[in-house]
Amino acid sequence: MIIVKDLHKKFEDNHVLRGVSYHIHPGEKIVIVGPSGSGKSTFLRCLNLLETPTSGEVWFDGQNITDPKTNINEVRRHMGMVFQHFNLFNNLTIMDNITLAPIKHKMMSEEEAKETALKLLQRMGLSEKADAYPSSLSGGQKQRIAIVRSLAMSPKVMLFDEPTSALDPEMVGEVLAVMKELADSGMTMVVVTHEMGFAREVGTKVLFMDEGVIMEENTPREFFANPQSPRLKEFLSKVL
Amino acid sequence: MEWINSVWQHIDAAFIRENRWQLYLKGLGVTMQVAVAAAVLGIVIGTIVAFMKISVKKNGKPTILSRIANIYIDIIRGTPSVLQLLIMWFIVLKSCQNGVLVASITFGINSGAYVAEIVRAGILAVDKGQTEAGRSLGLTQVQTMRYIVLPQAFKNILPPLGNEFIVLIKETAIVGYVSLKDLTRVSHQMTSALYDQFTPLIGAAVIYFVVIKILTILLAKLERRLRKSDNR
Ligand SMILES: Nc1ncnc2c1ncn2[C@@H]1O[C@H](COP(=O)(O)OP(=O)(O)O)[C@@H](O)[C@H]1O
Ligand SMILES: [Mg+2]
Repeated sequence: MIIVKDLHKKFEDNHVLRGVSYHIHPGEKIVIVGPSGSGKSTFLRCLNLLETPTSGEVWFDGQNITDPKTNINEVRRHMGMVFQHFNLFNNLTIMDNITLAPIKHKMMSEEEAKETALKLLQRMGLSEKADAYPSSLSGGQKQRIAIVRSLAMSPKVMLFDEPTSALDPEMVGEVLAVMKELADSGMTMVVVTHEMGFAREVGTKVLFMDEGVIMEENTPREFFANPQSPRLKEFLSKVL
Repeated sequence: MEWINSVWQHIDAAFIRENRWQLYLKGLGVTMQVAVAAAVLGIVIGTIVAFMKISVKKNGKPTILSRIANIYIDIIRGTPSVLQLLIMWFIVLKSCQNGVLVASITFGINSGAYVAEIVRAGILAVDKGQTEAGRSLGLTQVQTMRYIVLPQAFKNILPPLGNEFIVLIKETAIVGYVSLKDLTRVSHQMTSALYDQFTPLIGAAVIYFVVIKILTILLAKLERRLRKSDNR
């Protein structure tokens, strides 16, 4: 579904991604862990071209999206993204946050979009928040709405960049529960996180990123039971 | 009692006799006309220039448009507005005899440079995450600007824009240089007609002050309301 070929990214002299290649299949849940500053976010943001790679290619659904001729806006409709800081649109109600993109893309009529949004909100138990503004929501609620906003586009893959890192501890659970449910429904997911429990339980593969490369990749069981590189051993000893 | 009488004489001569207050009112009318026209033009120019200035190429380098915008802002900020006015009146728009028009255009172009900075700062103050979320949903840059960034930037822009208008009202006091009879000019002429410097000048200052005070209070109210409706 997503194929990454020898991806490099430099910010001026800072060589952040140093040759990342990876193949993500439909239905997989790829969990990415690694020390801060290792390039996890940059890698994730290269997948939907929020960052433009310096070199290398990203293929999505058989299309080279790093080709400048690709209509990236069209591609992004099929790739949801959830941010560490939620990034709900502050000037719009929850309902409008969810329906803006589907309506502007003419994927649905306004009524259909609202109906879809309400159904998704009901599933989250947040339907009474439809007319509220983001500022009145708790962090956990915001992040669940952000997930709903992406899901309203019926994406083929969902990218998560530390979705629980900005949350108070008591709210982490509700967001992880939604993500688990999403995983069980068969969604293809790429998740950057520090939640090792989630990686173990939900991941089909766990990647260790360090110094701009995928240093190690394994099934969750092997990843945690038999880390190979000294760097990963050291990392795990710190976070577990 | 003597001095009260004398003060009254001066006030009477400067403002009341022969309905002279009407001259000041007319002058204030000219002042406001130029200020409002300049403000409108300044907002149009400033908005365009702000977008020129924030435009970047794919590789992150500034565009030619943004260079032009910078040069314009530099020139306006680096020269006295009196000179800008004289240059427009005697050189650039020499053939135009309409002083109000020339003054409005001059101050519009002048104000545009400051408005550009206000608009630019207002847009840049909107969290980058808002744009990223919009783009990640497949919205175009223009759609993201229009539906998400600008509505939020507007709240940042409105208060300093009001301030800019107040500055404009005071700045236009130099339009006497191109023989416009604005409030300042009227009061100045009155001093030589009456051999009384004090009363007309102080009177004009009071009028400016009251107008600006009222605008400042309205602006503060607006600001409070914006803050209250702030959904961040
Ligand atoms: N927009 C940017 N401009 C310049 N440097 C950046 C930018 N984004 C990230 N970096 C740098 O890239 C490196 C990796 O960042 P990031 O991908 O966010 O790491 P991680 O998500 O693993 O913590 C860091 O050194 C960071 O400073
Ligand atoms: Mg990160």
